[in-house]
Order: sequence, then C-alpha cells, then structure tokens
Amino acid sequence: MNKIEAKNVNVFYGEKQALFDINMDIQEKQVTALIGPSGCGKSTFLRCLNRMNDVIDICKVEGEIKINDYNINQKATDVVRLREKIGMVFQKPNPFPKTLYENISYGPEIHGMAQSKDELDQIVEDSLKKAALWNEVKDRLNEPGTGLSGGQQQRLCIARAISVKPEVILMDEPCSALDPIATAQIEELIDELKKEHTIVIVTHSMSQAARVSQQTGFFHLGKLIEVGSTDKIFKNPDQKQTQDYITGRFG
Amino acid sequence: MTEAPHTVKSYEEELKNLNSNVIKMGGFCEEALGKAIQAITTRNSDNAESVIQEDEKIDKFETLIEQQVVNLIALRQPMAIDLRETVTALKISSDLERIGDLAKNISKRTLLLNENLPKNLVDSLIRVSTNVQKQLKAVLDSYLERSAAVAINVWESDEQIDDLTNLCMNEVISYLKENEKNLEDGTHLLFVTKNIERIGDHTTNVAEQVYFLVTGEYLEGDRPKGTEPIVTGEK
Repeated sequence: MNKIEAKNVNVFYGEKQALFDINMDIQEKQVTALIGPSGCGKSTFLRCLNRMNDVIDICKVEGEIKINDYNINQKATDVVRLREKIGMVFQKPNPFPKTLYENISYGPEIHGMAQSKDELDQIVEDSLKKAALWNEVKDRLNEPGTGLSGGQQQRLCIARAISVKPEVILMDEPCSALDPIATAQIEELIDELKKEHTIVIVTHSMSQAARVSQQTGFFHLGKLIEVGSTDKIFKNPDQKQTQDYITGRFG
Repeated sequence: MTEAPHTVKSYEEELKNLNSNVIKMGGFCEEALGKAIQAITTRNSDNAESVIQEDEKIDKFETLIEQQVVNLIALRQPMAIDLRETVTALKISSDLERIGDLAKNISKRTLLLNENLPKNLVDSLIRVSTNVQKQLKAVLDSYLERSAAVAINVWESDEQIDDLTNLCMNEVISYLKENEKNLEDGTHLLFVTKNIERIGDHTTNVAEQVYFLVTGEYLEGDRPKGTEPIVTGEK
C-alpha cells in the first residue's frame, strides 16, 4: 500500500531547478532507499516529505506530496504536526545539549503525549528500547546526550525521532559518520523499525541501500531515473544510467 | 563487452581477465572434444592420449576462475551486470570442467576399443558428435558476443541431440545383441554415446547462463526434450 505519493514534484532554489517532475510512490512499512551522486536531488526530495525545505527562503516546491492521501503542500498544513508524524534523522548525530532523558522526553512533552511523569518515563524507556540503546544507557539517563559515542548518539537521535510515534522516518545518510559496527547496529534497527514505520533513507553506500531497503530510487541531475524493487535495481536495472552508477561506470 | 569502462581501472581489468579466462577455458574444451571425437572415429591414439593429458589444464582454469570469482565478490561486491558476469563465470566454468572430464573419459575408452568398429556405428557417433560440437561452438560464441538469441537457439536445439543419441544407442544395442564378443566394445560405446549426450546437456546449461548474463532473466519452462531415452535390457 502506498504511504506517500509524490506527483509532479518540482523544486527550485531561486532560479535554479533542483528537482524535475518527480513521481514516486513510497510503500507503507517498507524501507525505500534514495541513491545517486552528490547534488542529484535525493536529499532535496527527502526534505520535501516533511516540508523541511520551508526553512530555506529561496526554496520553492511545486506539485503534490500526498501522505495518507493528504497533500502536505497545502497552505493549511500544520508543519509541526506534520513533523510529528514524519520524523527525521540526519547525517551527523545531533543530540540536544541536554540529558539523555530530556533528549527523548522533549518531543512527547511539547506534543502533550504524556499525562504524567510515569507515562513520560515509559515513553522514554520504550523509545530507547526500540532504538536498541536502553541497556547501554539506562543507568545514566541524567548524563548529557553529547557524552555518548557517535553510534550511540545516532541511536539516541533515532530514539528521539520515534518517541513521538511517527508514521514515517526520514534518514539522511544516517551512517556516514559511523564505524562498521555502529552502522550494522543502525541497519539492524532499520529492519526492526520497518515493522511499525515507513522509512525513507538517503545513502551514498550502494551496499547499504541493497542491504536495508526493499525499494530503491536512483536520482541523477534532479531527475528520478528509475525506481523499483531493490532486488531488481541491483541485479538487473532497466536504465543504463542506473547500471552505470551502481557498477561504478559513471563518468 | 559493450559497457562503458569502470571508473576504477583495476576492477575493469579483473572483470576482463575473468571473462577472458572463461573464453580460453571454453576454447580448450572445444579442442578436447574435437580431438576426442577424432580419436574415436579415426582410431587415433595420439589424439586420445593428448586429450587425457590436457584435461589438467582445463581443471586448473576452473580453479583459477573460482578464485577470481571469490576475490571479486569479497573485494569488489559486484552489482547488476558485473554481478551477473561474476556469477555466470563461476557456473559456466563448472559446466566446462565437466565437458573436459567427459571428453577425457571418451578418450580413455577409445584406447580400450578394438581397432575395427562397424562403419554404421562410427557414422552414427559422428552424427551426434558433429551436432554437439556445433552446439558447443555456438554457445561459446554466444558468450563471447553476449548474444541471448544464439543462446536460446542452442537451448532449443538440445532436442535434436537427444534424438540422435537415441538412434545411436539403438544401433549400439543391436551391435551388442549381434554377438557376445561385442560386449566389451559395445559397453564402452554406450558410455561414449551417453558422454556425448551429457556434453550436449552441459552446453545447454551454459546457454541458460549466457541468457541470464545478457538479459538478467531466467529461461523459463522445461528444456525441449527429444524422444524418450532407450531403456536397455527391455524386450
């Protein structure tokens, strides 16, 4: 079932067009990987999905992005509510300069998701457990989040993202600053999270896209060249440009 | 290869080298089969001896290709067409190795056969083997040229080989029935005929691999089969 449907999406940074007529369906409770060379528009497209481009003054987004059949590009959309439903994890772990506990509790608190301290404690514990971090930090929840290792900080950011129970999680190169062990932990986490969430991940690692996703889209020069099952894209893509990119033949 | 070259030249070289080893190995198999058939039909023991000795060369190619494939998978993680190149090289080399073994077995039996075989049997063997040799050449060409059309053609022609094998088997069985003295030669000839047919089967396997390599799709359905095989000993 389609969770997200992008229709004729065009994005401009001032005069410069960054995305051209993107049409793409994203399946519910699956992982969709977006791949392509730097500057191809994959991160721009990812940021369209929770209107993060709104914060860039010169950025203009045209077309429809429907999530649960609702066009999020409508003026009436409450972007705070939208980003509660569509969480995001960035390339560099960016915990708040607060305690581990507060890093997780902040979102549920401002969204009024907990009625009592006990409820909030429970959300913090559940989120850290789902992010496979609970056992490592349960005894030091009052220490600063910035004191964790890079991999732990990224899992903390994932725990923070899932604490508000988003339907979709957007990940922009979440493992590019991590070592292989921390990367494997995040990938295992992605596998687990897809049982309850729809995940869209931008990655420069072809093998990561192949390992974690069920659907892959290849972007080049602002165009979606090909989208299909990950299996097909990495074994026998339809487009020559896709094949040239994934096999390392790109000029 | 019609693909654009890889950005990393050493990777490009490794894939080219793998491809060229499969082609070389195929060439040695073609030569072995040619010599083995010539040896049995013209009773040339030198050719038979040469096939037996040269088989080691074919075996070494299989080991070399396997090592190259394992290295490519471990160190380069090939994708798409490169992945298909790598995987099919491994599978094709395994079929070629079997072809080499079967040619060697034909040659060993050749050395044990009597000098004078009945002409009708020799003619019959020539008919089957000419077909199999043609198929092997065609399938190796299809690999070299990356031609799915030629590969399908080979795949579909296996039926003819099955039919010719059965005719040949029938003649060998009649020869066996003629005289008890024919028992030893006849038995060898049954195995030789079966070996030639098996070479045809391996050739068809290679055709399936070439088709997958070029198209990324598997050849669907059962391979076309000829008439039912003869069950020896049946009244």
